[in-house]
Amino acid sequence: MADARALILQRHRHLKWPALDKLEAVLMVMCGVCISMFTLTVGCDVVTRTIGTPWLWLQQVTTAFFAWGVFFGMAAATRRNDHFYLSEITKRLTGAPRSAIEIVNRLIVLVVAVLLTWFGWQNALLDMGSYRMPSLIPLAVYTGIMPAAGVLIALFTIEQLVNGWRNGFEGPEDRDEIPEPTE
Amino acid sequence: MSPGAVLIVMALLFLGFGYMGVPVSFALMAGVFAATAFTPISLQSMVGQLFHGIDSETLLAVPFFLLVGELMASSDVVQRMIRLSQTLVGHLRGGLAQVVTLFSMFFAGISGSSVADVAILARTVAPEMTKEGYDKAFSASLIASASTMANLIPPSIMAVVYGATGNVSIGGLFLAGVVPGVLIGIGLMIYSYFFGPVGVMKKRAKFTEVAVAARGAALPLVIPVIIMGGILTGWFTPTEAGMVACAYILLVLIPVLRPSHIRELPRDFMYAGLLYSLPLAAVAGASAFGWMVAYLRGPDIVADYISHYAGTDPRMIMFLLVVLFVIVGDFIDAVPAIIIFMPIITKLTEVGGINPLHMGAVIITTLVFGLITPPYGLSLLVASKYVGIGFGRAVVRSLPMYAVFFATIAFVVVFPNVVLALPKWLLPESVGCFKSPTGVGYICPK
Repeated sequence: MADARALILQRHRHLKWPALDKLEAVLMVMCGVCISMFTLTVGCDVVTRTIGTPWLWLQQVTTAFFAWGVFFGMAAATRRNDHFYLSEITKRLTGAPRSAIEIVNRLIVLVVAVLLTWFGWQNALLDMGSYRMPSLIPLAVYTGIMPAAGVLIALFTIEQLVNGWRNGFEGPEDRDEIPEPTE
Repeated sequence: MSPGAVLIVMALLFLGFGYMGVPVSFALMAGVFAATAFTPISLQSMVGQLFHGIDSETLLAVPFFLLVGELMASSDVVQRMIRLSQTLVGHLRGGLAQVVTLFSMFFAGISGSSVADVAILARTVAPEMTKEGYDKAFSASLIASASTMANLIPPSIMAVVYGATGNVSIGGLFLAGVVPGVLIGIGLMIYSYFFGPVGVMKKRAKFTEVAVAARGAALPLVIPVIIMGGILTGWFTPTEAGMVACAYILLVLIPVLRPSHIRELPRDFMYAGLLYSLPLAAVAGASAFGWMVAYLRGPDIVADYISHYAGTDPRMIMFLLVVLFVIVGDFIDAVPAIIIFMPIITKLTEVGGINPLHMGAVIITTLVFGLITPPYGLSLLVASKYVGIGFGRAVVRSLPMYAVFFATIAFVVVFPNVVLALPKWLLPESVGCFKSPTGVGYICPK
């Protein structure tokens, strides 16, 4: 089993609180658990169907793990700065302009995370009374992951905002991440 | 505010936030949430729409094809396929360049991820190319260009997303991607032969060497047979085929070829779990964005505009869409682009009376070109970073290779019968054919 420390990305260390490292490791483990579980359930689905006794609820368990995996991964990627970016323009800036843009970017992510949390929670409450047939799994089991992910994304964004404000957003690894100046 | 103005505001906010450095998925969501304020739609329903965007069993194929790529890349099983490529084409002029292209064709049949292909080649073949005197810019641009085949030759993640959102047969799209994928491969081999660096000329491998290499690569090369065989025989859906391929790697390939890698598997799963969430987070944002585009009648506006110039001429419509998607692909990742523009593609497919599978092949071929064009050519960015060359120099060196892509796109637009021959033969229903009432053969639309 991989060492827990190996699961925590050391890049941009200056933007991280050590106290949240365990949370990042737990989220990485959850990503692995989700993909393993839905690999297993799809496998069971194929096998049970092939032997003529399909378990219909397996597909709904599969989609639950799939959706959870997406939102766990989304939260983990926020702390690890692993999301897809259209440009890395901020990494070429330094000083006050860099800080200003980094702060604005994170405020935008924070607003989105708060909206995901609040309205995701409202949706999950509504979905408590609806069920997926034939498994009778409440829809809230699926949609409840959205506000949870929203809270985690907001937490990690605040972590980066506070640490970036204190230590600056520039890190020694930024230079390595820009493709241009490698030669 | 008029619907057109809201559309423009939403698009500008997305691009503005995206280029400022906000992650793509959050930039999409922020654009949609801002646009929602100018419509009677509630934010609660838009947040729900984010979830509906990924609540699809068909999209489950994406993590499986990424997992296949991750397992193959991290276990180094692919070395055997590189060896086979070397024995087959290593003696030609520009031997290692030919190896890169042929290996990418093989690997494209296993993984749907261009980035996994780039990572493998940049780690294994690129250092050898540098030693043999190939300049790094050429190596990076060739590796990136060849990696685009992973999104054309089945299994293709772009085809899965296109099929899931556009309600088009994924098996059919897989087969329709074979011709453009192979054409790009052959085009790159011809380009490398005549215009690329000479490299170190080697002796042609003996038949016994080829046979030994083929035997070594036989187990990995069973994967495309499992995937396409399962889909074509109707045993598996594309999602299940991806899972069976993963099971084959876990239960057969790694234990037999690289048992020491078994203890690394938990790490592979965790990283694959993180890796698949990245495009799917963008899918969630893009599906809400696409929904809003459709609500604001964006497809009608764009379709009217294109129809004004193209009428109902299918080739002209496809030509204008190719121009649109070459521009779009320069700025936006292919997966969100497919989802955002799907309502427009569907509308224009109807207007031009175009076969949806043909349209899918044209759009995907055009979007893979975006993987090597600036400013957001993901494959070229990753390749230049791994190989250790400036992105700008890699772009300049890849400019002549663009000709291969333009020729392939033109071919796909102009010769639908060639592109659709394989799906028509192996999956006739996917191109709109139906069984003849006599019970013998199929009746197909012209």
